[in-house]
Amino acid sequence: MTMLSVLRQMIFRRRTSLIWWCLGLVGVDAMWAIAYPTVRNNAALDKTFSNLSPSVKALLGLSNGALITSPVGYLDSQFYANVLPIVLLIFAVGLATWAVAGDEAAGTLELLLANPVSRVRVAVERAVAMVAMLLTLALVCGGALAAMAPIVALNAGLPLYRIVTAAVASALLALVFAALAFAIGAATGRRGIAVATATSVAVFGYILEGVAQQVGFLRPLRLLNPWHWMLSTDPLGRGASWQAFLLPLAVSAVLFALGAARFASRDLR
Amino acid sequence: MSEPAITTSRLTKRFGTLTAVSELDLEVMPGEVVGFLGPNGAGKTTTIRMLLGFLNPSEGSCQVLGSSPSRDVSLRRRIGYLPGDLRVDPSMTGAELFSWFGKLRGGIDQRRVDELVERLGLDPGRPFGALSKGNRQKVGLIQAFQHDPDVLILDEPTSGLDPLAQREFMRLVHEAVARDAAVLFSSHILPAVERIASRIAIIRTGKLVAVSTVDELLDRARRRLELRFSEPVSADIFKGVPGVVEVDVDGDTAQIVIDGAVGPALGAATGKASLLRINNVGDDLEDLFVSLYDGSNDEVGEAR
Repeated sequence: MTMLSVLRQMIFRRRTSLIWWCLGLVGVDAMWAIAYPTVRNNAALDKTFSNLSPSVKALLGLSNGALITSPVGYLDSQFYANVLPIVLLIFAVGLATWAVAGDEAAGTLELLLANPVSRVRVAVERAVAMVAMLLTLALVCGGALAAMAPIVALNAGLPLYRIVTAAVASALLALVFAALAFAIGAATGRRGIAVATATSVAVFGYILEGVAQQVGFLRPLRLLNPWHWMLSTDPLGRGASWQAFLLPLAVSAVLFALGAARFASRDLR
Repeated sequence: MSEPAITTSRLTKRFGTLTAVSELDLEVMPGEVVGFLGPNGAGKTTTIRMLLGFLNPSEGSCQVLGSSPSRDVSLRRRIGYLPGDLRVDPSMTGAELFSWFGKLRGGIDQRRVDELVERLGLDPGRPFGALSKGNRQKVGLIQAFQHDPDVLILDEPTSGLDPLAQREFMRLVHEAVARDAAVLFSSHILPAVERIASRIAIIRTGKLVAVSTVDELLDRARRRLELRFSEPVSADIFKGVPGVVEVDVDGDTAQIVIDGAVGPALGAATGKASLLRINNVGDDLEDLFVSLYDGSNDEVGEAR
């Protein structure tokens, strides 16, 4: 009866918002699908994109040599390597920040914590709810795109399930930054710092992935960069890998745990 | 005698260099209402937030139902809490909040919730954000009382309530006490608690300055009376009258502050045929704080 009621309450309060996010991304899917036929038949585009610098190619997810006119090159460069992770990041960072710090700043967390629920339970259930909503959004987005792909031959040489796999990989990339926002928010109770840090780190990581293509001494840093984990392994073209799936999950779990542990013992604000 | 439901011993909270609560010793027994009084910023809310485990004491300790509030989370099933600044998700209705909290506390007693909703006169279907201040306070009260807790910790519970709801609230407190609940009731005004509290604890700048029964305290409190006359009066009529410590005359109206019995001052005033009416402006708690603080009332009650 009391099972997961913090988690269920969080999802229930946000069900309408989640539906709108899903509709929005399905709309974006449709837009890319509709635009594909004009790209597919435009060989000149391949030439243009092949002349781009390695930095830009890396940021477009084209460092694997895929052509922009191919489904993989098209979807990576237009969607999976940038727009989708960023949209998912905005969605997830918002939820993750609210989970503790936002609710605390609004003054509504205190009343909940006067109930027989531990802070760790609140933190864990809300982190799980956030992950569930993020994955739902990614699955709906990937699923809808996979359903539309055959209509415009976006699946030529590309198994349909990969379109879903890559959407989940984008979600896991976003999850790392959301987990960072959660951890900072839970540890400090400060919403602003949580959002600012997570966003800055995400932007920094994105830029680093491009710059490190050309600045040699920055290369080792890429190993710490969630963008690199996903972009260099190309989940759309090559499928799931431990770097794009297990690594972000593990790092996120550690961040969630650190945030929850600090939240459990500090003063509320 | 049973164990105290709430105990604080040398409870201290510092925020940086500011000492919000200093070495506070207080007990609330089952079946007792303790009024926790003090001016705004005196440390009432900080104390209460330590009792709920939201803040960790800097020194000393507090126990609720025999256990540390931050350690034993399950105890909160037996605590009802009303925060001084009640915030609820504005889109959530009262009914949704009661049912959610009911589940968290191990099952909702819908009959009890319905009864409370009826008695306080709340529309439970309206979102919290659309409610007036008084109705929001009713939502807070219902969630605090709905599970018939053994300990009620109420921070400024009467603020915003209309007189009818206030009376119903007093009845709820009486009923809780009758089934042996312990009630800690904070306020910055004496009238809110004087009729219901068995003891009053007064806190000022983080320190407990008095714990005593209401009668003792009212005896000590200075009273402020406003006297209206049909013609301008002179302050001289109160000259040398025992107990009158302050006179402020403005045309036909005199405000006097009386320390101790009011008889002599009223005698002096009623001696004038032009006296039209007497308004009891209140037992000036601020004055009492001052007098307690100055030490002009030496016999500061011992914390039990």
